[in-house]
Amino acid sequence: MEERLKLLSRAMQAGTVAVAVAGIVTGNLTWVPAAIIALFISFIPSILRHDLNITLPIELNFWIVLALFLHVVGGFSGFYNTIPGWDHLTHMMSASLIGALGFVTVVIVDKYVESIHLPRPFLAFFILMFTMAMGALWEIMEFANDSLAHTKLQYDLTDTMLDLLFDAFAGFVVAVLGVHYLLRVSADHFVESLNVDEARDKIVDYLQKRKDSA
Amino acid sequence: MAARSGTSSLLTAITPEAIIEAELSWIASMVLFFATVYTVLKLDVLWAAFGIAAISLYVLPIISTRNPFRALPWEMTILLAAPMLLHISSGAGILLEHFGWWRHLTDLAFALSLATIGLLLTVELQMYTDVRMNRPFAMLFVVMFTMGISGLWQVGEYIGDVVNHAHNLASNRQVMMSFVWILVGGMLMGFVYDLYLKAMSENRKRTLGLIHLWEVPKWKRD
Repeated sequence: MEERLKLLSRAMQAGTVAVAVAGIVTGNLTWVPAAIIALFISFIPSILRHDLNITLPIELNFWIVLALFLHVVGGFSGFYNTIPGWDHLTHMMSASLIGALGFVTVVIVDKYVESIHLPRPFLAFFILMFTMAMGALWEIMEFANDSLAHTKLQYDLTDTMLDLLFDAFAGFVVAVLGVHYLLRVSADHFVESLNVDEARDKIVDYLQKRKDSA
Repeated sequence: MAARSGTSSLLTAITPEAIIEAELSWIASMVLFFATVYTVLKLDVLWAAFGIAAISLYVLPIISTRNPFRALPWEMTILLAAPMLLHISSGAGILLEHFGWWRHLTDLAFALSLATIGLLLTVELQMYTDVRMNRPFAMLFVVMFTMGISGLWQVGEYIGDVVNHAHNLASNRQVMMSFVWILVGGMLMGFVYDLYLKAMSENRKRTLGLIHLWEVPKWKRD
């Protein structure tokens, strides 16, 4: 399973590279910057692992690459215009991704900050609120972009409302899956498996060295 | 007999300031109560849910301690009730027609109220469950809660519009401006409540017997 997910991730990264190359070759440059940025983002988990030894769950890693891949390939192939609901699909993917990253962050905060304790039901509620808040901020950003740069990111009210509805759905699913995950793997174990301890030591070391040399 | 003497000792222990404090709060809560009853009678689902949630947070400390003086600070109660009043009063409709900025004001009032509910949630969750937050996290939660609920709220309004073939949400632009104002209000209240809790006098905190949870020194989970 893990190997397959890894292989698929690599294949999708290759696909993103292909979009960038094809864009440059055919002179269709609209999606080239997006492809390059997406490629860079998709390598951030690997960079984290290499430099800080932080290992994100393989499923989360896969999800990151999948969301970026669908956005870039869909954009390049014109799926946003030709396939109805494509924008809602990618929107939901990224909303669930944001929710999942929020989940990982808040579980780490819960473990490391002594004065914070967040039981699982609250965690679920927090994730739903976090995803919705980020979704609303995203819509504000699109609106600001449309107003200031005269782009056309928001079609109409129905489109925006469907985006928010999918945000809510994604937040709900991530909340349920996250809490279910913590029922099977304890939060302590989960945080340990991310290797955050080691990363923190490394960062503290690094800061100490900079202080000493200054 | 024992109960009666208990009551009288409770009453003698209460200072005049505490009584005035509580009375102001009760008056404000009545406004909230009747506004909620009105929305329930009008089957205004979203606002009824909002009112019931606010009232529940208001009465929970009173009921659980069986002490009517454990009422919320009156200014918070007024903030809770304000957007409901703006929503149901007929004058609001006229003002809305004549002044473009009136809508922004109601959005702002809604944000202040949502942020207040968020803050009450953080306080009462710590009173009744083993959730623990520190202040920065709680303030982040207040802002996030305001934004998150307003997102769900707009979806709720939209679904209501579709089901009832109504047009309460006029345009995308209007909804987005609501979001902007609610974001402004939510972030503002995050800071304001932080300062508010710092500025509130020890005396008043003791009188309210509610907000003190923030001040548990160096609370740690066992």
